[in-house]
Amino acid sequence: MDSFSSPSSSSPSSQMSAEDFMDQLKVQLAQAYAEEFLETVRGKCFDKCITKPGSSLSGGESSCISRCVDRYIEATGIISRSLFNAQR
Amino acid sequence: MDALNNPQLQQLINQEKERAMANEMIAKLTSACWDKCITGTPGSKFSSSESSCLTNCAQRYMDMSVMIVKRFQSMQ
Repeated sequence: MDSFSSPSSSSPSSQMSAEDFMDQLKVQLAQAYAEEFLETVRGKCFDKCITKPGSSLSGGESSCISRCVDRYIEATGIISRSLFNAQR
Repeated sequence: MDALNNPQLQQLINQEKERAMANEMIAKLTSACWDKCITGTPGSKFSSSESSCLTNCAQRYMDMSVMIVKRFQSMQ
């Protein structure tokens, strides 16, 4: 699309492309949020669970990681509820 | 670009801006409060002291933000 084109009234085709653009934007934003969250969880659970890296992940480390991921998700819920719901 | 004049797109952008701000706040506080409140290895369930620490942590952060703003205002 060239920015010097006259601002023609929105034709059906440009309506379509704006909608496609918005859908794509939503998908990409969701991906970016998920990636950022994943990266945070990786850092937190690595600190908590892999205290002394061995030649492979031990059973204890694996179960710590599962619990850590679950608890971090739960903690995110607790924090957002206490910020937005419990405002007195 | 025609799309930039699209009111629906503008609305989406404003909505997403707000969501991004809220998300960032939640992510930052979860990270900070996790470090403060979850001191041992994560269990299969939060203890009541851990979950109340998380709740208190977020709310005290908000109280503190208000206090800091007031402190700065009183300096002017």
